[in-house]
Amino acid sequence: MKNFYLIRLLLLLLMMVPMVLYAQTTVRGTVTDAGKGIPLPGVSVVVVGTTQGTTTDAEGRYSIQLPTASGKLTFSYLGFVSQTVDVTPAVDVLNIELKERLTNLSEVVITGLATTVKRTNAANAVSSLNTREITGITTPQTVDGAISGKLVGANIVANSGAPGGGMAMKLRGITSIFGNAQPLFVVDGIIIDNSSISAGLNAVTNAAGGGSSSNQDNASNRIADINPADIESIEVLKGASAAAIYGSLASAGVVIITTKRGAVGKTLVDFSQDIGITRIANTLGMRTYTEERVRKSFGAAAVPLFLEAQQQNRFIDYEDELYGNTGLLLNSRLNVSGGTEKTRFFVGGLIQDEEGIVEKTGYEKKSIRFNLDHILSDRFDFSLTSNYINSESDRGLTNNDNAGVSFGVALSSTPSFIDLRPNADGVYPENPFAGSNFLQTRDLITNREATDRFLGGLTLNTQLQRGETSNTRLVIRGGLDFYNLRTTAIFPSVLQFQIKGPSATQGASIQGNAFNLNTNYAAFIVNNLSLADNNLTFTSTLGATRENFNQNQILNVATRLIGDQTNLDQSGAVSVSQNRLITRNKGLFFQEEINYRDRIIATAGLRLDKSSDNADVNEFQAFPKASLAVNLANFDFWQMEAINLFKLRVAYGQSGGFPPFGAKYTSFVPFNTGGLPGLIPAVQRGNDEIKQERQKELEAGLDVSLWGDKIIFEGTVYNKTVTDLILFQNVPGSSGFTTRVVNGGELRNRGVELALNTIPFETPSIKWNSRISYWLNRSEITELNVPAFPLGAFGTTLGTFFIEEGESATQIKGIRGDQGVVKLGDAQPDFQMNFHNFITVKQNLTFSFLLHWKKGGDNINLTELLTDLGGTSPDFDDDDDGDGVTNAQERINALGNSAEPFVQDATYLRLREIGLYYDLPEPAIRNIFGSIVRNLKVGVSANNVFVITDYRGYDPEVSNFGANGLSTGVDVTPFPASRRMFFHFMIGF
Amino acid sequence: MKNYITKYKFGICAIALSLVFPSCEIEDIPDPNNPTIESVLENAGIPSLNNLVTGTEAAMRIDIGTYYDDVGVVGREYYRFSGADPRFTSDLLGAGNAVLDNNTFYTTRPWNARYRAVKNANILIASANNTNQITEQQKQGYLGFAKTIKAHQLLMNLTLMNENGIRVNVDDPENLGPVVDRAAALTAIAGLLDEAQAHLQGAGETFPFSLSSGYEDLVNTDPKDPFGPDDFLEFNRALAARVAVYRENFSGALQALQGSFLELNTNFNKGVYYTFSDASGDIVNPLFIGRNAKGELRLAHPSFVADATPGDDRLSKVALRDEPATQSGLTSRYDITVFSSNTDPVPIIRNEELILIYAEAKIQTGALLDAVSALNIIRTGHGLLPYSGLVTKDALITEMLRQRRYSLFFEGHRWIDLRRYNRLGQLPIDRPGDDVWVSFPIPFNEGI
Repeated sequence: MKNFYLIRLLLLLLMMVPMVLYAQTTVRGTVTDAGKGIPLPGVSVVVVGTTQGTTTDAEGRYSIQLPTASGKLTFSYLGFVSQTVDVTPAVDVLNIELKERLTNLSEVVITGLATTVKRTNAANAVSSLNTREITGITTPQTVDGAISGKLVGANIVANSGAPGGGMAMKLRGITSIFGNAQPLFVVDGIIIDNSSISAGLNAVTNAAGGGSSSNQDNASNRIADINPADIESIEVLKGASAAAIYGSLASAGVVIITTKRGAVGKTLVDFSQDIGITRIANTLGMRTYTEERVRKSFGAAAVPLFLEAQQQNRFIDYEDELYGNTGLLLNSRLNVSGGTEKTRFFVGGLIQDEEGIVEKTGYEKKSIRFNLDHILSDRFDFSLTSNYINSESDRGLTNNDNAGVSFGVALSSTPSFIDLRPNADGVYPENPFAGSNFLQTRDLITNREATDRFLGGLTLNTQLQRGETSNTRLVIRGGLDFYNLRTTAIFPSVLQFQIKGPSATQGASIQGNAFNLNTNYAAFIVNNLSLADNNLTFTSTLGATRENFNQNQILNVATRLIGDQTNLDQSGAVSVSQNRLITRNKGLFFQEEINYRDRIIATAGLRLDKSSDNADVNEFQAFPKASLAVNLANFDFWQMEAINLFKLRVAYGQSGGFPPFGAKYTSFVPFNTGGLPGLIPAVQRGNDEIKQERQKELEAGLDVSLWGDKIIFEGTVYNKTVTDLILFQNVPGSSGFTTRVVNGGELRNRGVELALNTIPFETPSIKWNSRISYWLNRSEITELNVPAFPLGAFGTTLGTFFIEEGESATQIKGIRGDQGVVKLGDAQPDFQMNFHNFITVKQNLTFSFLLHWKKGGDNINLTELLTDLGGTSPDFDDDDDGDGVTNAQERINALGNSAEPFVQDATYLRLREIGLYYDLPEPAIRNIFGSIVRNLKVGVSANNVFVITDYRGYDPEVSNFGANGLSTGVDVTPFPASRRMFFHFMIGF
Repeated sequence: MKNYITKYKFGICAIALSLVFPSCEIEDIPDPNNPTIESVLENAGIPSLNNLVTGTEAAMRIDIGTYYDDVGVVGREYYRFSGADPRFTSDLLGAGNAVLDNNTFYTTRPWNARYRAVKNANILIASANNTNQITEQQKQGYLGFAKTIKAHQLLMNLTLMNENGIRVNVDDPENLGPVVDRAAALTAIAGLLDEAQAHLQGAGETFPFSLSSGYEDLVNTDPKDPFGPDDFLEFNRALAARVAVYRENFSGALQALQGSFLELNTNFNKGVYYTFSDASGDIVNPLFIGRNAKGELRLAHPSFVADATPGDDRLSKVALRDEPATQSGLTSRYDITVFSSNTDPVPIIRNEELILIYAEAKIQTGALLDAVSALNIIRTGHGLLPYSGLVTKDALITEMLRQRRYSLFFEGHRWIDLRRYNRLGQLPIDRPGDDVWVSFPIPFNEGI
């Protein structure tokens, strides 16, 4: 409740200003929720035309003195419609009922690094999510899961269903091909790290050829560490026009997360418990075999195995065996919050223990948050944010591999007629059809990410000067994000693929240790100046920022393990690699906001940045921004009472994206032989002229609100171009290098975002809030100074992304017969829509759901190809087009001739979340528990209830290559998506 | 307007500003992970140059698994089955309409890897030429080593690209030399080997650097004569002999063999090897796959056993599997057992090849009886009876190619040998519609 907190803080400060007493009227009363009748604590009560105000206490009570005998009082509360009431000397008790607001038009959105603006005055379409939207329908496993499908203008793709998350998030299209394509995450002013760190599985899977580290390890993103239930609101600055204040860090947008804070009043204790299960969301099925089919697919030698199975009627559904676990989900949360006028606190605790749909996988998290706000004096106050997280995810072994060891790759060539289950002695039979027995792999391996993380932030506000028309404050902010990530991948020597096969190393213990420390500091001087009788206000900000990013990853691969030991030194050989990232950024920031009676709001700002990642470290890069919003409905000429908001807005801004770390260096890497230390040139040729890529975004929009916010329409169009596009130019291999980072192109994204908030139905007993959103984006590479090049995926034979001038940045090309390499698809959706609904019956029963429709957008489905080649596809013997050639044979025949069958439409309609909750009516609670219990709520919910799609994979949301760049949508035997179903119990004291 | 600023606040301001502006400058951070190439280009010392020597030797091994798969599968020496990558059995064998792609790993990886080693050798050459920390003899030693390895690496790429050619001059990444055809490339490679020979002859008694145990066969037994330029020169000449037969310069081959480590006896395995280990920073033998493996497989082409002469001990290079393996309509019952562990060395060139080069050169220069006796060293050395066929040039070429097939099995020669003699048509076609490729395409990224 940071936003609210600022307002209140201001009011509190104002109260302390000595006032001359005139004829006074004292008014007191209680403010309640018009719907539920429960008291509202923390409602601000302000005497109109003065700076005098107060807030309601925990029981919703207030008392205020009016400086004059009569006047007006305004009652406002975040999420509720404000009310202004006349007060006459006769009135001394005034009880107010506030109505809940459909959307938060009155909420504030962040437009500066230290300033905010009311949403009604904002010139940008800032997407925001509140608690109800984030965690109100069902319990997401991680933060990235919590925002999936909910944000207008975002394309969020889950990499897989593996416990612990992992998502690729793109705001308003692709903004960088090789630079930073993931948005910046800021939690309470702390810039937090969102790395995906490889666990070194490549040493076993060989997915990316040699080496131990790769981007195909299905690593999670570190944003997953944040507890979704701690979040009060999420704001998303989608493009440079809004995000320019974050300068060179903001090329991919900014996600600003604000956590919950305490409110003045009685200490509130809320406990909630979720109990749920998780199951695979969608199965592909198994092939049915006949003797003839077995002979054809597996050779004559397999026939006796088949006949034996047939005789014993022992056909095993290995998909169910492997992915059919019912995982138990347990989440316990305890929040304690409260405070006095000087000190407020919030404590949030979480214990999460979730099993996965594959046995031995799961996600555990413990999080404790302590947020403190304290007013030192009328001039000083500070806010402290602290959060400790311990998380652990067991993620199995999935995705691409070149050694036949990952679950799915081994499954893809394993028919149902063999028995891979362990015998009575616990000995697993060897899988004759694959490099590994995946049941053995599942049971015996470890692939764990364990994190200990501390987030700390401190904001100190100092009132430097305060006057009738001007006040000036100094804001000093420091943030710290430290984590230690330990990856542990243990492959005991008894595994089939550790005994024989290309990765047989007689056991492997792969242990990584990553330390990450981000610190960021900022200081701002903010001046508010009111002129012309408060008709014209200026908000000026001048500030400086500093960011230090340090990451140190060490990865040890120990092989030839001694017995069943897993310590690194209990091995025949250890190889070590280390990678450090060090970045130092400094920035200066200036912003001026001018507001003329909430009618015309203009903003201009400039950020100057320099960074050690640029070739010229001390050259300032300038990122300007400007915006204008005109609230026509606030002008005197506006006569249409029904339209209470009619805002035209336009905003322009620039932001930057750093070159990838190390782009400027041409270096050697170590490579030894014969026990001698050697150096070879890295595959990347350095570029000593590399500079930031620069995004320029122009957005314009129209916001209309009808009948007191009963219908709110927000429409936005944008055009953003990225110049100096950072590209990994594939250089001729004969140069000795294979890539080089260059500034070599221009990319454009254009799009439309529409959102309609309505109350289709409202009676005293039933209220239906609905929001429907529609968004689309079209990208184009408008200039490319390097030859067109393929990127991601596995080459044109199987379909690959292809960066080419004049084409979509996410087009997929591949071979097609005699036509050669042609465009076969595009990962970019035609459009996306979501449909968010909250239905409240008799104020006690809440039913809510979120539907998400993604139309168009192609994936590269290689899972199906692998099952075809392995002779296990469920539709192997079907002949859909009736031409006498079976489906699988058609696809196999295409291999090497056409990539078309592998590029598949990934349209889906998904019921992402659904929830039904019942609040016990207050009288009932009082009857049962007396005054001890404040509220009690039970509910059921689920996510991923259904996915309607023609896509022939586990889930159309998939990414073998993780969140990296634009290579999402490549499907190589992923960890299947799951469905989660919960029972919830919440009690408040 | 009342001013509230107090001393106290000045203090806070000062702290704030000191946090943010300790200095306005940002330090240029050097690469925290690795040394830069510039660091060795000027006045490098022996330790730095030796790192480059080892790096060059190590780089010769990058992606050789893929190189062997290319020449071994196209040359029908073995099948490469992969649960994860179908292109070994589709593209490489030309299944159906599949053709070799110019931007797929089997084309790009070996090409890039060899040029990476060439780059390393070129950096070594540039560094050795631009330092005054070494003697002239030491410099000659570095140059002799670097140019020999560079020649070998260029030859590896040329064997894949064949008539499509390679780039020879790749010193300046901004200004790469042209792709020259096969004949010109072979001439350039032979020239490089000869230049290296001259360097090695002027390199004194010892090298300032050490090489891996892959070169230890070349050391004389005399303890007073440690491994040095004269020993390395024998490797250089062995490569020169190989290049000479590729150029059909058979008298040149015989001449080169004289300076090589050729021994006309059954010391077949004497030679130069890539070495492997699982030590840190090293790699293991990418060609090794254990017996009866599943999923990822290299299996002898059935014709290797079917065509063999009974009693040939070279059949021990393969072993019958417990169960045959099948993929994409191909079946083999034989594992390749040339390597027994993932740290076994892999030959670069060994005496057995030199004997066969000797035989080939003798055949081509008309000394047929010398050729027969050389071939008989091979035959009898592997448990076969001496050659009893016709002693004609054609018959002996056939016999020589057959011995090369069995002696150099899984060493990447058969495809190249049959191509040299226009006999690719003799390779077995396993499935209707399969093709035998003659050359790999120049990688897409070369922009040709």
